Amino acid sequence: MQALKPFALDGQVAIVTGAGAGIGRAIAELFAQAGAAVAVSDLKKDTADEAAAAITAAGGSAIGVACDVTSAEARQALVDAALAAFGKVTILVNNAGGGGPKPFDMPLDTFAWAYELNVFSVFHLTQLCAPHIQKAGGGAVLNITSMAGENKNQRMASYASSKAAENHLTRNIAFDLGPKGIRVNAIAPGAIKTAALASVLTPEIEKAMLKHTPLCRLGEGRDIANAALFLCSPAASWVSGQVLTVSGGGVQELD
Amino acid sequence: MAHDPYQILTHPFSLEGYAVVITGAGGAIGGATAHVLAQAGANVVVSDLNLENAEKVAATVQKATGRETLAIRTDVTSETEQQALVDAALKKFGKITALINNVGWGEYTPLWDVTVDYMMKSYLLNTVSAYNLSKLCMPHLRKQENASITISGSAVGTSPSPEFISYSNAKAALLHMSKSIAAMSGPEVRCNAIVIGSVDNGEATLNAGYDPEMLKRLADSFVLKRRGAPFDIAYAFNYLLSPAAAWVTGIHLHVDGGGSYKSKMPTSD
Repeated sequence: MQALKPFALDGQVAIVTGAGAGIGRAIAELFAQAGAAVAVSDLKKDTADEAAAAITAAGGSAIGVACDVTSAEARQALVDAALAAFGKVTILVNNAGGGGPKPFDMPLDTFAWAYELNVFSVFHLTQLCAPHIQKAGGGAVLNITSMAGENKNQRMASYASSKAAENHLTRNIAFDLGPKGIRVNAIAPGAIKTAALASVLTPEIEKAMLKHTPLCRLGEGRDIANAALFLCSPAASWVSGQVLTVSGGGVQELD
Repeated sequence: MAHDPYQILTHPFSLEGYAVVITGAGGAIGGATAHVLAQAGANVVVSDLNLENAEKVAATVQKATGRETLAIRTDVTSETEQQALVDAALKKFGKITALINNVGWGEYTPLWDVTVDYMMKSYLLNTVSAYNLSKLCMPHLRKQENASITISGSAVGTSPSPEFISYSNAKAALLHMSKSIAAMSGPEVRCNAIVIGSVDNGEATLNAGYDPEMLKRLADSFVLKRRGAPFDIAYAFNYLLSPAAAWVTGIHLHVDGGGSYKSKMPTSD
């Protein structure tokens, strides 16, 4: 099994936000399987606990933490909970995020909310974790952004521009944290078959998406989890400041 | 529920049962890649212009990993020798699961000192060879699960690099080609590129016109404060070839210490 060692996370402690379902949960489960202890954070306490219990039942190490990442207090509490449970933090996966098409005439608060959720929370959690990751001897920050950060479309001003900001935040923070032994990367997923997508996906939309996808299928949580494991593992120890697109080679849009 | 959204592969990075052709595998990056892929379970065709180097890598890898290897001399600028490489790979392993177009070469040249003939030769070696070898392998790749073509790109192909005008142009073209191949080769075959930063490959870098002082300044300019090791690149190939990257095609993965924005030869000021 020495061959797979470069992709192992033995002895690491990861915080994964938005990890109660979908992409975040797939990441939390794979990281636990790769040897990391995981603080599974989700907006809903029972969802976080359920995901953590599934990891523990499978022989992994995890705690569930309720965290609204748009609250500064909750962000601090999340880091504290991870430290209390596992004694250190070496990996932060900023996966929580959201938003969707909004009319151009949206109230400014609606626009600002996309940045609160997708940019400010990511920056602050990274600020909170960085000293601990450095103290633990270095590690990795990974931001789960979106292909929307590159795509151009109507009604996407708030969400897409906030995701573009998150991508560029990644590239810039890499320079701040590189000297501290912390690598910072992002994954920009295409359309992933999660419950969140299922709520808006119709057979027609899926057909249109696949027409523009060379690999002819939508993504699975594990496609992103595998990329996340690569980027947070020793195998990627010379990779930083990158936004890795995982999208089946294509562009999938809702309209 | 028939579909388990959290289904995790047992060994997402395993290359068990793969037959991989690597060009330029007698060198530092190609050799490390052969080693890592074999360690992950692949059998490897080690192709290089220098047969002695290819044989050395093939023997070392086989001994260290217990996987099958085949050393072969290939001048990738020759169509005949490319065909011979494909034939030999098929004869030895019965299939080709992945092709790594790794071969490439360039050196420092003043911007306006390059002749047309020199420029054409650079394209032939760095770009056209990858096109033709991909074409020859494609029908065989299409028959395999999770087949892929992966290209060794270079940071000089992504930012202005007048010091390496023939090499950087050819590498830029190569990167662009990888996206076109990706667009037309799915769902059976994936195509990606690694944009490689300054890797410590020993003599080869010094021969290309760098001196040790320049290399130190270069390393200091990177976010991660070091030049790459050949294994840093090899692990990225491992990821891109593996089932873990089954939904990844058409990407340029930069493995460059976070420093690709300063890919040019640094000066003292």
